[in-house]
This record gives sequence, structure tokens and C-alpha cells, in this order.
Amino acid sequence: MNNSVTSSSLHLLGSSHHIADLAVREKISLPQGKIDDFYKGLSTLPGLDECLLLNTCNRTEIYGASSNGFSPDMLREYFSEFHKLDPEFLRKYSYQHSGEKVVRHLFEVTSGIDSQMVGETEILGQVKKAYEDACERKVSGKMLNRLFQKGFQAAKWARTNTGISKGQINLGNVLCELARRIFGKVSNSRLLVIGAGEVAESAMEAFKSRGSQAITVTGRTFDWCPLSRRKPDELAEKYGGFALAFSKFQESLHHFDVILTSTASGRSLISVDAINQAMKNRPAKPLFLIDASVPRNIDEAVAKTDNVFLYNMDDVSAIANENLKSRMAEVDRCRSVLGKKAVRIWEQMTHHALANSSANQSTASSS
Amino acid sequence: MYLNEARDLLWIASTLYAFAVFFGFASTHFTKSNFCKNATLIAIVTGFTLHTRGLYLRGLEISGCPLGNSLERVQFITWSLILTFLILRILWKLNLLGSLCSGMAAVFGIISLFKKEWDYPYWLDSSYHRLFSDPWIELHASIAIFSYGIFALLAIVSSMYLIQRKALLSKKTGLWGTFLPPIHDLDHSAFRLLLIGTLFLTLSIVVGGMHWLQNPEFVTSFKLFITLLLWAGYCILFFLRYKSRLFGSKFSQATIALFIIAMVSMGFVNSKSKGSANPSTMTSSQE
Repeated sequence: MNNSVTSSSLHLLGSSHHIADLAVREKISLPQGKIDDFYKGLSTLPGLDECLLLNTCNRTEIYGASSNGFSPDMLREYFSEFHKLDPEFLRKYSYQHSGEKVVRHLFEVTSGIDSQMVGETEILGQVKKAYEDACERKVSGKMLNRLFQKGFQAAKWARTNTGISKGQINLGNVLCELARRIFGKVSNSRLLVIGAGEVAESAMEAFKSRGSQAITVTGRTFDWCPLSRRKPDELAEKYGGFALAFSKFQESLHHFDVILTSTASGRSLISVDAINQAMKNRPAKPLFLIDASVPRNIDEAVAKTDNVFLYNMDDVSAIANENLKSRMAEVDRCRSVLGKKAVRIWEQMTHHALANSSANQSTASSS
Repeated sequence: MYLNEARDLLWIASTLYAFAVFFGFASTHFTKSNFCKNATLIAIVTGFTLHTRGLYLRGLEISGCPLGNSLERVQFITWSLILTFLILRILWKLNLLGSLCSGMAAVFGIISLFKKEWDYPYWLDSSYHRLFSDPWIELHASIAIFSYGIFALLAIVSSMYLIQRKALLSKKTGLWGTFLPPIHDLDHSAFRLLLIGTLFLTLSIVVGGMHWLQNPEFVTSFKLFITLLLWAGYCILFFLRYKSRLFGSKFSQATIALFIIAMVSMGFVNSKSKGSANPSTMTSSQE
């Protein structure tokens, strides 16, 4: 790849959740097996000096740095031809930026304000991975290196100096935050999951990521067929937890600090009497109950017991939405500052490129 | 304003405690700011140093432990509160505890300094005799007041527990709920503080009891009754918590109620002065 820069510019072709729904994104997203071939063809485009592909579940973006003679439309043409997409379809569900707008866009992506879940941090890891991949393939050069390094710095700035990542918005993380406010270290609290719904999995993932070693799963399907691989067993194995027989969980309630129900049984699984009995065995220790089932699995009256904290899905979602609102309030401020930073960085990049260009010219003329 | 004047030093100390509250709460807003966190501790430590010197100067002035009037007693309790906080801070850290302790010290300190009548200069009376002629009774009083400082800290921790519990039950995110320590940690800290406070109060009663056996005329039966009642209250509370019969919100409410009773009863637990016990030497001093 040619790294000499003469009147360089940056280009971006992308599609994301902002303009394309899931079905469209599935069509536009590049399968992992095609990425090698995609890069091979991309790096041969005339005038394109550097390139980078960011391919996540919510966005597919191609970043490029070019010298004179490169038309940004060539990116779209190449992509529709390579991926066998109708050019009109791609035009409708994609966006194209050049110059300073690319810098601004990347800053917004890395900082998380362009994400579906505003302020989420996963995107930064995905961008870093995409950048490392481009470096390994030696398709990233001076311009993109500088752009992405500045993008990582902008992400750090945004997370440190604004409230875009403040408060948890993922349901599993909200539960962990509540557990932290009750028990302190989440890693020390013992979690029992009854059922195997989406919320249960999200909670287990969040607890596991915070070092919780005592995760137990039980479910109605567990007893039916102990020899087959049913969801509770699979979940227990996946998160390094234990599987508990459904018939035994009622008598073991006092062993757990956090109990989450997520079943479709449609009946009460945990009664006031069961909780009162459990609390007799752990009177001074708090108990955190989460009822993620509809209809509910935990008798609402248990909330009246001292040291018992009962949350249902509405409560947890309300907290997540409240946190999201406070993040959204910070987005405009963050976007404005990142915009100013993007202008400054773009000026530095173009000035640097021009300086290099004139230096190269003077070297060439003197030789 | 002079740094060798007890009242001036106590004023500065109270102001510094107020600054510590400001910086402590500011650090909850600016979580990344190390300045606010450090400034809180620096303000508390500087305030405590000046507070200590203020009480020391007052002690030199009256030739004894400064516990002769309401200002001195309030200042001694707030000094004990901050001292306990600084010692326990080494063992366990609870978010916002420093801010709330310094808040209590600032509020009570400033009120006691504003109320001129609380600082009656009893040592200037011509009939003044040294308050604590017996070092044992001086030790008894200082340990008792120190235990009150621990109970003040216990009341603060219990208040934090109740606020965190209320925040959790309200099922809303808020500044308090997010920044206050977990209720499990608060419950454990409260239990340990109750143990330490009860031990100090017991020690104080043992020392005081030794003096009382030799000089029963100095102690009114009312003071004896109130003191023993309070001590029994804390002992029963400790026993109930130890046996897990009383815990959670009810335990926290009980510790706060007992502390309020202890503060209110302070005005009633004055010993007979030497003067009133011995008609030949009249004094207005009290313990």
C-alpha cells in the first residue's frame, strides 16, 4: 500500500442502526469468511492509500485515506459489486462522509454516543479490534493511524469528562449495581436463577463478569429430563455455575443472597411463607429478589419483610430508562465538544499532510 | 483572631469541618476529581488538629479536662466523633462518612459557639475550684464523653443505613443511593461501633463507680439512674443485635433514638459540685 500523502483526504462509507433496521443490516454486514477477500480487493482500488473495515452487529463501515484521483463513490461501487448488493439499495441504506466529517463520526462512534445503547463501551473494543486487524494486514497508514489514535483519546475524554457512561442501562448491569448497593462486592454474593430467560442470562453474564463464583441455576425443565441438555444445565455450564434440582430450591432459599426468577410458569413460585422461613435462617442478612417473570413468580407481599428487597421487571427497566435519560442529556454537550476536537484534529492532519507533501517536493526537486 | 485563643481555634475548626462537608459532597458530583477527595480529608485533619489545640488551651486555662460547660461538652463530643472517624478510617472506609461526621461536628460546633450562654466562664468565679480534683473522675468523664463520640458516629452510620434502605425501597436511582455505602457494610460497621462504644461506656462506668463507692455524696441518684439506664439500653441493644433479634431498620432506629436520649440526658447527669457537697467550698462546676 502506498503511504505517501499528497493532498490526502479521509472517506467513509457506512451503514448503521440509524438508517437500517436489523434485516437490512444483516444483508449489508460482511460475513467473517469474506473479509480477507474484501480487503484484498479494497486495497487495489486506485488512489486509495489506506483502508479499514469496522464490521459489528450494528454497523458496517469502511474508512479510507486517499491521495488525488480517488473518488469516494468508488467505495460504494466496490462494496455493492463485492457483496452483490443492488447499488440503489446500498445508496438508500448507507451514508458517505469525507474529510473532517469522518473524524467527527469516528469520535462519536468510539465515545459511544452513536451507539444504539448510548454510552456503551463495547464499541470501543470493537473499533480497537478492527484497527488492530487493519494494522496486521498493513492496510492502515499514517492518516488512519492518527485518526484512530485520536479516536481512542476522544473516547477516553468523553467517558471521563461527561456523563454519557454514567449509570447502568443494561438490565444485568442494573441488577449488579443494585446488588452492590445491598451487599457491597457482587463477587461475594450468591446468585440463584430460577428459569432461563433472556434477563436471567443477562444477569448471570453481569454477575460472572464481576467475579461471582457462586451462581446456581434451576428450572422446571431440569427435573423432567436430567440426562438431556436442557437450558438450566447449559446455562450453569456456560457460566461456571451449579445446577440445582427444581424440587429442592424452595428449601435452599436461605443459602442465596440474590434470587432471580425468570420463568413462564404463570404461577407463584416463591411465597411469603417461604421467604419468612428463609429469613429465619439468615435474619440479619439482606435478601435481594428479582421477579423478571410475567405473570410474576414471587408473591408481592414478601416486600414487607424486613431486610428483603423485591424488584420486578418494571422497577429494573425504570432504573435503566432513568439512567439512559441522564446519558441522553449529556449527548449534546459531548457531541459539541467532540465536534470542536474533530475540527482541530482535521486541521492538524491536513496541515501535517501538506507539510509532508511540500517537504517531499523540495527533497525531490533538490535531488 | 488569635491562634492561641481556644474559641478562635474552635471557630476555625468548625469552619474547616464545614469546608470538608462541601468538598465531600462535591466529590460525589465530580467522581474523577482527586482534588475534592483529598481536600475533604485535609480539611478534616487540619480542623481536628486545631480542634485539639483549642481544647488543650481551654484545658490549660481551667487546669483540667474541659467538660465544665455545655460548649466544652459539645466540643469534646464532636472532637471524639472526628477522632473515632479518623481511627476507624484506617480499618474500614465508608463513602461519605467523613462528610457526614464533619457535617455533624460543624453544625454542633457552630451552634455551641454562637450560644454565648453555653460558654459560661465558670473558671473565673471566685469560688471556682478545680473541676476534677480526682484524676479517676477526670478519666471517667473523658471516657464517657469519648463513648458518646462513638455513639454519635454510630447514629450517623445508622442514618446512612436508613437513607440507603429508603433509596433501595423507593426503587429509584438517586445521588444518595448511588454514593452511600452498601447496607450490608453499614450494618456491620454499626454493630462494631456499638460494641466499641458499649465497651468504652462500661469502662467509664466502672471507673466512675470506683469513685462513687468512695465518695457517694458527689453523685445524685438521678444521675446514677440515668447513666445506668443508658448503659443498660446500649447493652440490651448489643445483646439483641448479637443474637440477631434486632437488626436492619429497627436496629438503626433504636441506635439513633438511644443517642438522642443520651444527648438530652446529658443536661441532667451533672454531679453535685464539690461546693454543694461540701458547704465550705461552693462551686458551680459540674461533670
